[in-house]
Amino acid sequence: MTTLNATMDQMHMGNLASKAEPASKAASTSTKPLSQSDTDSDEKLLLDVGNHQSREAFNKLFERFSTKIFAHGMKITRNEQLSKDLVQEAMMTVWQKAPLYNSDRGNVQSWIFTLTRNRCFDMLRKQKRQPMCVSADDIWPAGMEDSESLVERDQGSLAVEFSNIERFLTQLPEAQQAVVEKVYLLNLTHEEAAADLEIPLGTLKSRLRLAMGKLRQLIGTSE
Amino acid sequence: MTTMKSNLHPSTEMLEKFVSGDLSVGVNLAISAHVEMCDQCKSAIQEIELRTADQWTNAESSSSAVYQADTASMIDSIIATPQLKEPIEEESEVGSIHMLDRSVKLPKVLAKAASEGLVWKQLGAGISQADVKIDEEAHCSFLYMKPGSQTPVHKHQGTETTLVLDGSMTDELGEYGKSDFIFRTNNDTHQPRTEDGCLCFSVLDSPLTFTKGLARLLNPINRLRFQRAVGKTLS
Repeated sequence: MTTLNATMDQMHMGNLASKAEPASKAASTSTKPLSQSDTDSDEKLLLDVGNHQSREAFNKLFERFSTKIFAHGMKITRNEQLSKDLVQEAMMTVWQKAPLYNSDRGNVQSWIFTLTRNRCFDMLRKQKRQPMCVSADDIWPAGMEDSESLVERDQGSLAVEFSNIERFLTQLPEAQQAVVEKVYLLNLTHEEAAADLEIPLGTLKSRLRLAMGKLRQLIGTSE
Repeated sequence: MTTMKSNLHPSTEMLEKFVSGDLSVGVNLAISAHVEMCDQCKSAIQEIELRTADQWTNAESSSSAVYQADTASMIDSIIATPQLKEPIEEESEVGSIHMLDRSVKLPKVLAKAASEGLVWKQLGAGISQADVKIDEEAHCSFLYMKPGSQTPVHKHQGTETTLVLDGSMTDELGEYGKSDFIFRTNNDTHQPRTEDGCLCFSVLDSPLTFTKGLARLLNPINRLRFQRAVGKTLS
């Protein structure tokens, strides 16, 4: 019983912490004032994991989400060992894919929830020895617009005068202008630019792709 | 694949179950393929994901089992693994079904499901079927109805999920075109027919029962086929 209470307390703390998430990003019904500074939000922690490989930030995410992941495992599999394995699998995915997280497509909670659901689905099928030709990531694709190859392919096609490009650049949303400047004018690597702008690498890449698509469109219609 | 407007969609309740991972594999496939063709459901799903994740994050655990583990060593082993800087690109598959008169490009998830090859069988009356062995609880298959064909009148003991992939068909309850998602429960008796041919993905969670004429002779065979398709014995 003591163990259970202790866990419940931790979970309450976890709830408070996750409510420090910027309200605009979450579909949260919570109206509580922010009880913690932005430096400890889920988003900031994931950013530190993805851009700086921070162990401390990963520890905190682990504390906040492992009981949630375990609960999802118990709900779906009703098996403690499988649910523990799920915690390991899902948190491993959080670590490995942190640089790919895109804050423009949802919030940290929905990102971790969906990857937990997907790992759980695959684990269960593997355990039941069902055919694996279709995986969870096929059923719930993370958005086709994130394909990096599109960005690279666009680079060579911008054969217009520089002054024109500059004019077109100002027509982009500010967030997209910022990433184009860092990568194409200051020649930073994607990793450096993401760290500089304090946004996830995945967000940077997605904004860059959108910006290049938009630029291409503007240039195309001006000719 | 070009996105197009679709008239029939999965219900909100079904989309919610899809997001939370509570549906069978076959129905997941049908919904996923529909969503790929439907912008409206795509954005509905993004909203449901935010809402579901919010509930998940803020829920109190109802389970009596408590998560306990040696987290320090687990974290050690996790952060020793390399991070991904680029998404893993999968080679794109062609994923088309070739019919006598046309070929149809499949939604990605169905192309994957069909990637081990489809074996078409004639069911008679211009209807062919190719099973997809993927779900141990439901019979998943592609169904092709030749132009001008119709199925015998039948009803369902369980549920029947149908996604129209190409062409069109009609039954007593309506007219269906590409990307329409049709969900039938055991109360519905119907007889689909097609003028210009129709390719569907179908998920049945129990065998069909034909209700009229000579087709009733097929009922025992249907039960047998269903058992073979899902690889289990019906009790």
